[in-house]
Amino acid sequence: MNALEINHAQVPARLDNVSVTLGVGRVVGLIGPNGSGKSTLLQVAAGLLPEGKADVLWHGRKLEEIPVIERARQLAWVPQEARFEFGFTVRAVVAQGRFAHGDDERGVDDALQRLDLWSLRDRPVNRLSGGERHRVLLARALATDAKLHLWDEPLAQLDPRHGLNVLALARELARAGRTVWFSLHDLRLAHRLDELVLLQRGQLRAAGAPSTVLTEEALADVFGIRLRPAEGFDLEIY
Amino acid sequence: MSQNRNWLLPLSAGALALLIVASLWVGDLPLSPTRVWAGLWHHDELAATVLWQIRLPRLIVAVLIGAALSSSGLVMQAYFRNSLASPGLLGVSSGGAAGAVIAIASGWSAVSLFILPAASIVGALVATSAVLILARRGASTERLLLAGIALNALLGAITSYVLTGYTLTYERNAQILFWLMGGLEDRTWEHVWVVLPVVVVAALLWPLGRSMDLVSLGSEEAQSLGVDVRHLHRKMLVLATVLTALATAVAGAVGFVGLIVPHSFRLLSGPEHRRLVPVTLIGGAGFVLACDLVARTVGHLRLGIVTALIGGPFFLWLLRRER
Repeated sequence: MNALEINHAQVPARLDNVSVTLGVGRVVGLIGPNGSGKSTLLQVAAGLLPEGKADVLWHGRKLEEIPVIERARQLAWVPQEARFEFGFTVRAVVAQGRFAHGDDERGVDDALQRLDLWSLRDRPVNRLSGGERHRVLLARALATDAKLHLWDEPLAQLDPRHGLNVLALARELARAGRTVWFSLHDLRLAHRLDELVLLQRGQLRAAGAPSTVLTEEALADVFGIRLRPAEGFDLEIY
Repeated sequence: MSQNRNWLLPLSAGALALLIVASLWVGDLPLSPTRVWAGLWHHDELAATVLWQIRLPRLIVAVLIGAALSSSGLVMQAYFRNSLASPGLLGVSSGGAAGAVIAIASGWSAVSLFILPAASIVGALVATSAVLILARRGASTERLLLAGIALNALLGAITSYVLTGYTLTYERNAQILFWLMGGLEDRTWEHVWVVLPVVVVAALLWPLGRSMDLVSLGSEEAQSLGVDVRHLHRKMLVLATVLTALATAVAGAVGFVGLIVPHSFRLLSGPEHRRLVPVTLIGGAGFVLACDLVARTVGHLRLGIVTALIGGPFFLWLLRRER
């Protein structure tokens, strides 16, 4: 069974007949230039775009048949923008991930620690930096204990160390049988993921193993860039 | 930190109780506590008349409109995700006042007691819909406030126009001032009945607290976390509008209450709505009662003048803080 199946996603002026299938236990990247429809596709997959048309299945179940509260237990979605008007504490926001579980607070402290937010837990979220706010959203997603994670550019605002930490987190989740799909712009990082989905102007350009997606032709045609033969510059957490 | 703020509810309840006692006591005819007691039981006829005909209805109307306007502001701030949203600034109060004035001028309000609040609700709903069209959720403060300025001017003009045709010359300006600024003069038991449903509507807010926390940080996020956002949003808008409309139907467009009270209590007790809803209801009642007390003791000022004198500077301070 597939973790996620999107058939013929159609959103006027943004997505044109996109179909994607994700296997269970994979870390999948979603790439494409600005405005290629990445955020829209993630929202369609998460069932958050009422104006979009698509057949979406989560672990084989039709999305329309899953009630809102049940959806929250199965899928965690992290938006690209982390805007907070009101000064909830970091811990309170992360605990919102347990809303669909009767606010039982399970796993909230672990999630705080995993995203390196323990020392910030009593701080109001509207006083945090952009990267810290993103980590709060990721911790909240982690606290939901969902099997399917859709993250919209989780790495964009993170410093290198926290970025690699999030990548490690995605791998951990996948090892535990969960599925993580996230959008990103760093193609060198993308190249190291299990699979990639490449969008171009609202259409599916390619999907599959990174080496088959990030071909020289695709790089040139979609992004207008090319591979430069150079020594590696790979970084990791020590 | 926010765990240790449980004193706030008993404190505001205590303050409200004190204000209630003081309101019965203070006035053109100062009544000693013993005379208040005797009057309430009709043992002192003069005191009884003052209390039962004048002070009690005015007191109850003040408490209910305070609770209504404050909780309405709280809900609007959560809905628009903007701590400067409030029934007065968005023009919802003006809509309610326009509706009420039309009902009175046309004579419909004399037909049944329900017509006045119903007309006020219709007027307020029109204003709310207009705000929704002009400024969507999560809209910038500028957009929200500009939409409010336009609506307030337009609806205020309608109110004044209707009153100009309806009232006699000598009382015209007083009437216009009453509806545009709000007041509690000559409130009777009839007004109490009109505004009494506030209790029911406020009770409906109670169970929404937790989900309001989630939508106040973003509607899509709330949806993905398990809140039925469309349903909740509709409920919030209707409740907030009805609360403001009921208050406006009996007291005119009293400004700034729905801005100051929820905002201050959010600073004091944190942003969690399960805690905010009760303290805002009680604190709002106390705030309006205190303002009315000031208005009555400092030479018959209008309630709306006092709330504006406090609220105006407060609002400017907030704007400055918003960077």
